[in-house]
Amino acid sequence: MALVILRRLAQALITVAVVLTLVFLLFSVIPGNYVSSLMAEKRGVDPAVAARIAASLHLNDPTPLRLWHYFVDLLHGNLGVSFSTQQPVTEMLSGRIFASVRLALAAISFAIVTGLPLGYLAASRQGRWVDGVAMVFAVSGLSVPAFWFGLLAMYVFSLQLGLLPTFGYGGGDLAHLVMPALTLGIAPMALLARTTRAAVLETRNADFIRTARSKGMSEGRLVRKHLARNAFVLILTMIGLQFGAMLGGSVVIESLFAWPGVGSLLIQSVGLRDIPVVQGCILVIVLFFLAVNTLVDIAYLIIDPRIRYK
Amino acid sequence: MKRTQDHHRRHGITRRSFFSGAGALGAAAALTNGTALSALLPTPARAAEAAPMPGGTMHLAAPYGSALKSLDPHATWRSQDMVVSKAFHRSLYSWDTSKNAPAPDLAASVTAEADGMTHTYKLHDNAYFHNGRQVVADDVIWSFTRVMDPDKGFPGAALVANIEGADDYAKGKAKTISGLKKIDDLSFQIKMKNYTDPGLLFFDGVTSILPKEEVAKPDFLTHPVGCGPFSFSQHVAGSSISGKKFDKYYKPGKPYADGVHFVITGDYSALDMAFRSGELDATVLSASAYALYKNDAKLSKGLVEVHELFTRHMGMNLKMKPFDDEKVRQAINYAIDRDLIIDKLIKGKAFKAVSWLPSSSIAFDETRKPYPFDVDKAKELMKASAYPDGAEVTIWATNGTNGTGVAQAITPYLAAIGLKVTLKVVESSVLSDALHSGTAQAWLYSSGTGPDPIAALRDFDSRVTRAGGNTTGFSDPAYDKMLDDAAGEVDPDKRRKLTMQADGYIFDKAPVWFFNTNKAVVATQPWIHNVGGNVTEAAILEVDDMWLGKDAPGRS
Amino acid sequence: MLRQLRRPNLAVGGGIVVLLIIIAVFAPLIAPHDPIHDANLMYAGEPPSTAFWLGTDDQGRDIFSRIVYGARIALTVGLLVEMMNAAIGIALGLSAGYFGGWWDEFVQGLTNVMLAVPTIVFALALMAVMGPGIPSLLVALGLTDWAYSCRISRAQVLSMKSSPFIQAARTMGYGPGHIMLRELLPNIAGPLIVVATMGVGSAIMAEASLSFLGLGVVPPAPSWGSMLAGAREQLIVAPWIAVFPGLAIFVTVLGFNLLGDGLRDLLDPQGRSRR
Repeated sequence: MALVILRRLAQALITVAVVLTLVFLLFSVIPGNYVSSLMAEKRGVDPAVAARIAASLHLNDPTPLRLWHYFVDLLHGNLGVSFSTQQPVTEMLSGRIFASVRLALAAISFAIVTGLPLGYLAASRQGRWVDGVAMVFAVSGLSVPAFWFGLLAMYVFSLQLGLLPTFGYGGGDLAHLVMPALTLGIAPMALLARTTRAAVLETRNADFIRTARSKGMSEGRLVRKHLARNAFVLILTMIGLQFGAMLGGSVVIESLFAWPGVGSLLIQSVGLRDIPVVQGCILVIVLFFLAVNTLVDIAYLIIDPRIRYK
Repeated sequence: MKRTQDHHRRHGITRRSFFSGAGALGAAAALTNGTALSALLPTPARAAEAAPMPGGTMHLAAPYGSALKSLDPHATWRSQDMVVSKAFHRSLYSWDTSKNAPAPDLAASVTAEADGMTHTYKLHDNAYFHNGRQVVADDVIWSFTRVMDPDKGFPGAALVANIEGADDYAKGKAKTISGLKKIDDLSFQIKMKNYTDPGLLFFDGVTSILPKEEVAKPDFLTHPVGCGPFSFSQHVAGSSISGKKFDKYYKPGKPYADGVHFVITGDYSALDMAFRSGELDATVLSASAYALYKNDAKLSKGLVEVHELFTRHMGMNLKMKPFDDEKVRQAINYAIDRDLIIDKLIKGKAFKAVSWLPSSSIAFDETRKPYPFDVDKAKELMKASAYPDGAEVTIWATNGTNGTGVAQAITPYLAAIGLKVTLKVVESSVLSDALHSGTAQAWLYSSGTGPDPIAALRDFDSRVTRAGGNTTGFSDPAYDKMLDDAAGEVDPDKRRKLTMQADGYIFDKAPVWFFNTNKAVVATQPWIHNVGGNVTEAAILEVDDMWLGKDAPGRS
Repeated sequence: MLRQLRRPNLAVGGGIVVLLIIIAVFAPLIAPHDPIHDANLMYAGEPPSTAFWLGTDDQGRDIFSRIVYGARIALTVGLLVEMMNAAIGIALGLSAGYFGGWWDEFVQGLTNVMLAVPTIVFALALMAVMGPGIPSLLVALGLTDWAYSCRISRAQVLSMKSSPFIQAARTMGYGPGHIMLRELLPNIAGPLIVVATMGVGSAIMAEASLSFLGLGVVPPAPSWGSMLAGAREQLIVAPWIAVFPGLAIFVTVLGFNLLGDGLRDLLDPQGRSRR
């Protein structure tokens, strides 16, 4: 197990390096840079001043050199300073990470708590009307864009019923968390419901289950012992993917609900071409993803002993 | 003065100034208040106001994006940030929405000297920064000098550059700005390079007066300190920012509210719902929401409509075909039914533009008639032009109603006179790069065209670079001279006449398709009072003047 | 007794998809107006009527005609993107799971990179370079969203690699190609079909989200996503502008999902596995 974790760490390191390099390179070839975003904002930055700003931010250095400096700084734990706010990137990120993770946790909890039972229910009533209703419900979750759901939730819970605040972070209270979490969680919920249904049906027909059934094991025990365990491999994969991608996938929802997360910072910084912040956000999103999926991989080992990592 | 707005959408809120009694409007008023502005003043939300009631927390919005760019007011000219900096900071002047002109703010008095370029200021003797130190003349000089810092590229440099010696300082030729002279602790002189009224330049957050010792601290960027009505209390980056009443604020009895809270979001649907559920005391509206509120008996009562000093237009690159021929440009201005587009697409939330200067500008020519919608005339002009068979045109636009939406709406009109449109959708920074490098052929944009009309008309001065605002590449020595004559004229009436003449020249040459000027609409709750309309940027509210009625949710 | 009715999924889903294809192919015959050029601001924002069955949008274009033509874009984007994704994902996942070793490590690393970087970042960068439009949309979505099928096929292969029938195939001397395509692929097809059909839907949805950020199909092309995104602020004033494209997306995604479910049941009928 220790070896597995060590390998995962090495892999994670490489992934992080590759992603950061990739994004860095992407942003050095696309049109526009920080100075052009400044120019979009105001009148006549004196060309000399613009050049000086560009020079002080090393925008004109060759890309490999900038990349090298970035990684050297990174190795010293220095994520750089934002071009626009002049604040250290770590400082800008620290508050946002907590808000983002909180939102993601709430969303995935909602998705698991509702998606799993729904999918299981559908599988155990395969082909019946319950199945149909559950799946149409699940598909609705997948076929309406998040911003649409968010607006609808606002309309119902805030404007019509007056139950929840429309947007904002509040003091970190629960009331402000509910709507963004539901909105973010609805697509993963639907996906989980469908994956669960498929996984349960798949494993139910697998050889070993039929063997167990023919040996006279009761349905209840079958579910608890084999079915759940085997279906969980698929379900866990889906949970890991969904949860891991949430930090980067909540951009629209964060903007809609004025939620102070990493995603909205990322989009804002892309618009400004504030590269250190873009890189910082990507780093957080990637690390979160890797952490979640390493946990999922470890969970595989525990749940399904047939999986072995060499 | 070209301040481009946050492109996608924009709207706004403001104040009613309390400065009616402040004696020394001085030279500022004399230079600017030449025209009868009463007709252009924002419509008040409610006629009679009761006596202000102190207390409560105001809930407002910073409505142009999901984050603030900087808490350093000098560092940003985004409307979004200026909405917030109004609560924490003060400048020498502020925009008086009741007079539609700049009024002294930190300056207790302003006197113009005989040369018309030197202005003597006296500061209020009871103005303090949030750290308790008094605001003195040195702070003004230090703040203006900081804005000119050549290494920072602060946006306000374009304004301060009008002070004598500011350029030399920026170029490193001088250690100080020679036009800034301290007289005593509370008095100083500003010597301008020209006859521009300093009030038209120094009222925005970009020229805020800041305390040197606080700016030097590393946490100034997260804990701003100024001399405004509210002191900073909390910033949840990407979500909200709030302040609490500053007890030593220089205006007695103000601010009325105990606190102010801004939610930071660019989402108009969310703002609309939050307003209607009572979570916001005031907010700007999108065109769709405006259509809805206007037709609602209750909601329509709280609307403040503001005719902002921004001109939306389609810029044309005069160095590119077919826009090198002015007949083509004029034809375009005849060919499009702007009334219909404003009515249907913009839902009435705009005023048809006449020329470059908006009708709320002090140098607007009331006698000039807008280009009529006349397809035959347009076709005639096209036939007489160098491109009788038409041409292909690529229009650059950002995503949104005022960008891609308008581009689609004008496409059939242009097709009718033989111009085949291709739409190019870009980010705003890519668009600005293209404008500054002259690579775009035509583009939809919104330019700040006030309050100083001459500065606005410099957008067509041949000595101004594309990056400096002359995006069309307009070049005409006769026009440059007109502007210089206007700028060199001391007499306000003559000056205005000359400015009108220059605006008329642009109208005839049509380097842009004149589209509209924005009608910003602020929705206000029945329980909030003294919300005025700021034509320079309707979203900027004078928070020290607003107060909450007794039934306001912000009081519980 | 309801056994015979167990395939409504297939019928309904297949029906919707076939109908969509017919609409897309015969769009010019079905649509009463041109989706782009028949814009008339005089009729902007009209509610549904006999002249405009589903009303008009804020440019005065017939929404019904735009939805009909939009089916072409939706199907093109949805199917092409998912085909690219499925091909890349399954090829990588299957081989990684089967071979293991350095190849597995590499594929997993690549998958992690693709999963970890939000599609939106790739999309933003690609659009900035290539400009928004269908080609960059296909690249942005088709080359980046394969991680799901890859992950799932790999996980499935891992849990099946040691099963007796694979062992048997090995001892019978079949090569890796045969085992992967003939033995493993059919056995893991169930969940993959579900993922792939959902993928068609999510590609259509992704187009809507990117349109929302101004990165999708360039207007005035009638894509459902950009119609929906553009109508967002009019939800209350003119709901039909938003509701009908939304409904089109909903029905389409539903159709593909039901079809996927139906296929899954067909491939692996309850209680009667192929082996």
